[in-house]
Amino acid sequence: MSAVEQVTPQAFIATIEAALAAGERFGGAWASGQGGEGSWRVLLVSPERTRVISRSDADRPLESITGLIEAADWDEREAHDLYGLNFSGHSPLRALANHTDDAHRWMTPVSGDGVHQVAVGPIHAGVIESGHFRFHVVGERILAMDPRLFYKHRGLERAAEGHDVESALRYAQRACAACAVANTLAYAQAVEGAYALEPNRELRAARTVLLELERLYNHLHDIGAICAGVGFAPGAMAFAALKDRAQQINAQAFGHRFLFNTIAVARSPVRLERSASDATRAAVNELHTDTAAAWRDLQFAGSVQARLDGVGVLGRDDALRLGAVGPAARAAGIAEDLRSGDRLLAYDGFTPAALQDPSGDVGARLRLRALELEHTYEMLEQQLERPLNAGAATAAEHEQPDSLGVGRVESSRGATTCIVELAGTRVARLHLRTASYANWPALAHATANNLLPDFPLINKSFELCYACVDR
Amino acid sequence: MFVLLRQLATIRHDAALPRGRPLSLAIRHVDAGSCNGCEHELGATTNPFHDIQRHGLDIVASPRHADILLVTGAVTTRMAAPLLTAYHAMPEPRLVAALGDCALGHNILGERAELAGPLEALLPVDLRIPGCPPTPDEIAHHILAALARPD
Repeated sequence: MSAVEQVTPQAFIATIEAALAAGERFGGAWASGQGGEGSWRVLLVSPERTRVISRSDADRPLESITGLIEAADWDEREAHDLYGLNFSGHSPLRALANHTDDAHRWMTPVSGDGVHQVAVGPIHAGVIESGHFRFHVVGERILAMDPRLFYKHRGLERAAEGHDVESALRYAQRACAACAVANTLAYAQAVEGAYALEPNRELRAARTVLLELERLYNHLHDIGAICAGVGFAPGAMAFAALKDRAQQINAQAFGHRFLFNTIAVARSPVRLERSASDATRAAVNELHTDTAAAWRDLQFAGSVQARLDGVGVLGRDDALRLGAVGPAARAAGIAEDLRSGDRLLAYDGFTPAALQDPSGDVGARLRLRALELEHTYEMLEQQLERPLNAGAATAAEHEQPDSLGVGRVESSRGATTCIVELAGTRVARLHLRTASYANWPALAHATANNLLPDFPLINKSFELCYACVDR
Repeated sequence: MFVLLRQLATIRHDAALPRGRPLSLAIRHVDAGSCNGCEHELGATTNPFHDIQRHGLDIVASPRHADILLVTGAVTTRMAAPLLTAYHAMPEPRLVAALGDCALGHNILGERAELAGPLEALLPVDLRIPGCPPTPDEIAHHILAALARPD
């Protein structure tokens, strides 16, 4: 599916430059194999194909691609910290996964009259994942923010190495509960791509329902979180209740509130008989009605509406430059969604949600999610008109098995990529680059020039995971 | 509204509202390296379906206000120190609960250089709440059982 193109160190930058000029986009970069005898690989994506450009990591330092692709900043920092690669032209190469007491190794230097720092985390006041934020502020105005994540680095990718392709899926699943379907589906698609398999119609339908059910409870959660971010308890509680009902549907239909163990390689572990799909459809339909009513109520909550506009703006150019994906990018006017043009799921005729006024602020991200919820409800109601059968993946025509596969899935937070490199039937390398990973730099950027007390609201309007970034 | 607040004591008395158990427990949560599933479910215990506050349970912002430390995740090396800091900031007597299979050491990772856990290796664990993740009902059930203990 994605042949690896080995290039010489001399040709590396030129190849990527030419690909970008031809309209291909950066999809992630990762270290493969052991340092010194391994390679440094860059994924390039376009609507037509995915390519992997690979160069040996034997001569060090490697040329940084951040001059061409700012979005590769975290990928290179991670490869340095976890795989010992060095990059020339990436200066300063700040620590990302490594935690050092020397603040100058990881923080942006900000100085001036009245500038001071506010340190938040890793433990936060609420029930929130662990991570540290360092704000540089004057008064209450944020000049810059450095997120310091990887407190939850569990070594999941390395732990997956050596396992067979069936059982290694659980490492992608445990990366993140809230993105479990998207991450495992990206994994399964990567393995199927490497094996030159393609899903039949039944398997596509089952996976599409699962992916949309995951989006459903996440988007409901995120709208509630934005209400909580402005201290509007009635909205937070209403959407928390709707989210719980969505998770109850998951548990009822598929046995797990987060839909764990519903995705497998080349098959579907779950199915719905006619009576079960009817019951699920009825419950989804009822939730649809109640969501519409709650959303209508929110339009008349003046104390919420007054807090949304012009806060946490991520403009279109910045979103493109920083590689933002998903609702965060679409709320900034970038009409990209992996569901449109998808060939491995059941999204025929899908068009990305677009706002009339893609202002890129908290309000735009909130409205975009509400719009996407409508699409999700419609798709679920349509897909659940029939029972879901187990389905299978079968040999694809005109494709040859390969030792590397790439899976790309639109999670509720945006484009999520999984790379699987195989040694026979075992996983030699698993790399997960989730939508949250892509969006953290954009969130940090959108925070600047805002008031410190608005940060929780801005943060919740992106609602990024820490778990699937840290892995 | 302010009139209502002034009269609240009388109103409560007159209405004979159920007052719950004469016990309470303040919970402080620390994510020591979870997949975020336990966080979602712990958060859900306060939603209108589960509403653990009606049992006298509350999730508090500071370990200084907490009776019980609820820890999620396979404890990572990077979270071990913040976790211990939170524990030592709690007033005594204090309880520690392991929330979810990862904190209990039943995770898919085994022993890895990235991990300092399981929780038991770092702190005395009083309460074990299994599940991957445990549902909001299961979380509430286990904590309420601890609350009912005579000691």
